[in-house]
Amino acid sequence: MIPCSRREFLRAGTLLAAGLGLSRGVASAFAQGLQRLFEGQKRVLWLQGLSCTGCSISFLNCNEPAPLDILTRMISLVFHPNVSATQGAQAIETIQKLVAEGGYYLVFEGAVAPGMPEACMLGGRPLNDLLVDVLRRADAVVAAGSCAAFGGIPAGEGNATGAVGLAEFMRSKNIPTEKRLLNCPGCPVHPDSLVGTLAYLAGKGYPSVNPELLTPDMMYKHSVHDDCPRFHYWQKNAFAEQFGDEGCLFKLGCLGSLSHTNCPQRQWNGGVNWCIRAGAPCIACTSPDFVRRRAFPFYRKGEAYHAVAYQEKDRKGDKS
Amino acid sequence: MSQTVTVSPLTRIEGHLAVHTETEPVQSGGTERHRVKSARCEGEMYRGFEQILRGRDPMDAQQITQRICGVCPVSHGIASVRAQEMAYGIRPNRNGRLLQNLILAANYLHSHILHFYHLAGLDFVDVTAVLKYSGADRALKAVKSWVQDALNRKDLFAAAPLLPRYEGEYLTDVDTNIAVIAHYAEALELRKICDEMGAIFGARLPHSTALIPGGVTQVPTAERVLSYVGRLQRVQSFINEVYIPDVVTVAQAFPSYFDIGRAGGNFLCYGVFETNDGGEKFIPPGVVIDGKWEALDPEQIAEDVACSRYAGGAPRHPKQGETKPEPQRSGAYSWLKAPRYKNNPMEVGPLARVVAGYFKPGESWIKREVDAFLQPLNLPVEKLFSVLGRHAARALEARWVARAAQKWLDEIEIDAPATAPFELPKTGSGHGLTEAPRGALGHWLSIDDYRISSYQCVVPTTWNCSPRDSRGRPGPVEAALEGLEIKDTTQPIEIGRVVRSFDPCIACAVH
Repeated sequence: MIPCSRREFLRAGTLLAAGLGLSRGVASAFAQGLQRLFEGQKRVLWLQGLSCTGCSISFLNCNEPAPLDILTRMISLVFHPNVSATQGAQAIETIQKLVAEGGYYLVFEGAVAPGMPEACMLGGRPLNDLLVDVLRRADAVVAAGSCAAFGGIPAGEGNATGAVGLAEFMRSKNIPTEKRLLNCPGCPVHPDSLVGTLAYLAGKGYPSVNPELLTPDMMYKHSVHDDCPRFHYWQKNAFAEQFGDEGCLFKLGCLGSLSHTNCPQRQWNGGVNWCIRAGAPCIACTSPDFVRRRAFPFYRKGEAYHAVAYQEKDRKGDKS
Repeated sequence: MSQTVTVSPLTRIEGHLAVHTETEPVQSGGTERHRVKSARCEGEMYRGFEQILRGRDPMDAQQITQRICGVCPVSHGIASVRAQEMAYGIRPNRNGRLLQNLILAANYLHSHILHFYHLAGLDFVDVTAVLKYSGADRALKAVKSWVQDALNRKDLFAAAPLLPRYEGEYLTDVDTNIAVIAHYAEALELRKICDEMGAIFGARLPHSTALIPGGVTQVPTAERVLSYVGRLQRVQSFINEVYIPDVVTVAQAFPSYFDIGRAGGNFLCYGVFETNDGGEKFIPPGVVIDGKWEALDPEQIAEDVACSRYAGGAPRHPKQGETKPEPQRSGAYSWLKAPRYKNNPMEVGPLARVVAGYFKPGESWIKREVDAFLQPLNLPVEKLFSVLGRHAARALEARWVARAAQKWLDEIEIDAPATAPFELPKTGSGHGLTEAPRGALGHWLSIDDYRISSYQCVVPTTWNCSPRDSRGRPGPVEAALEGLEIKDTTQPIEIGRVVRSFDPCIACAVH
């Protein structure tokens, strides 16, 4: 008996694509991919490095498919540190068995610490040791969230661990990234972007990406500023002066120009809200520069008091 | 024969934890068991938030510190804005305080539900019972055929991630198992709804961008309030009709766990959810040492690094605290520091909050509620100092927080701002003491020349999973494991049951 019908996959793929504002062609790729994931043709291994588990929590906030389907039927999730029943040596054996089999997708959450291997241990040994094999034998690797993609907060100025994202780690170990690594930044990653990326990979293969950032174009092409519902205020130079004001949030610190992601379309938590709608300046959590520099704060309230390491154009994202 | 029994990694918690126990053989009920003589908790992941925060604009802190933990980001956000508010000389306005409470309440409910069903639940419920399901529920039928199909195909990873598992004594009654599995599925949706509640006022979760010193950026509209109310009612009925009864069901099936997992008997609570502008708290602060209640004195906190992977000498108060990693330091076995209160290891978390409220002199609504819960079960309050006591305290607290949230919604002034004006000072200092779902959380902040000159966080699991201190005293989880009897040392399911009852979060604990 097949517990999941083609119709169910089509429905899930269509709803997932609709949530992301994507076409019917993508919907059928999603549907096909979900079916392959379900059939175990592609298994998924989830590991965590220097992470906060926020991306896992966000993953469980997905609406299409529903979290139960994601955990059980629709994605063959062989191991997840927060969800798996297994533990201890048995968990390590499970991971090793999968690595020996090969051909899986790795979802990785968190940064890697090549400068301090003791900063992340798994099963009594540095995660970095295990990770090299896991990365080599994977069919594809999805970096979930900004830490895995670019280093994120652990890679912030002043850190002692030498934290980096997966791309840098893989290159340093001569592990190929081309057509294998996909970055899904965000702090946390949006569940639809992550599940959509996995489904597309399984359905149609490696998607079109930004060549420098390796982010899938279908989710990460446009900036928040480009599609901002407050864009008309920007055009009229109507700026919010205080938190809670109407108007463009640029002068409060909004970094929407620097954040390439589809928040304005799909919003957050089932569409109930998102940063700009709540009057909260975008903190550019999908940017490779997120939290990197001490002297580039999120908010501008304090900038009059100290020398800053940026100019107005840096906050606007002007390349010139 | 003496034996070292290790669970590494200990999964279904937040983060990277290894537990090592030294056991000795004992005869128990005619069979040989292995009794834990001593235990070690090793926190195995370090990022260095306190160093990364130094030199930054203080207003970055409520965003950066939320990323200490993706399970309880709101608590870090609240601790950070409280520390900043003290440094800036302001208080949140009324709407700001209420919305902050409501975002935090949502995060509590999400966290407690997730913990019982998805993290700890699989230590008690037998998921394979779903194969015996014969009813008509769509979700259960789908899970059943998914498991059956994988077993038929002899899939190498059949029913992962729910299998494999340690074999041991699970719930035996088929109907009970199936009911709890159905609730596991329902709870996945419910905790998602809790995050939606948090996002209604907090912009999104995890990692709310709307939290700022003095309140939140979101203006509460009638539509937003109604949107929260509808979800809260659904969550509330789940707590009262499903979650609490399920905790009782597990307790009745595993009564010995009312006697297992006692941790030293000292409890610390900073109090949480401000209910007025004077800073009074819905869950009141308090300290219980050797069964005696005393008022909280934050000056009595110090962090010891004798067995931690940091350079340093004598224990320091977080105001003078420092964080200098030394990964290969001899004698150190954890990335966690060892916080102590008047030199005592202290348990924190829902049980600590319940105990601090219960033993507080004078009129105590918490005592009334707890007694009403314990009476039909015929249990004295001391039985709560246990694995099952922690689960019960968490479930009761979920009920109270949901009820209080209803009241806070009623107090909101619709369409009025939820912010308070402030200026950034050149120098200043402050601390924010609150309670995360997992327990007492403090942030200590110093500002010099408009920048953060020092930032120290003492986090719930830092208390609970702390390593030994310079006096050799074990942390609460280490103490709770002492005396535990393990049936099968190759599948020590009992260790996980004890450790998970504290709901550890290692990303928080080390940060």
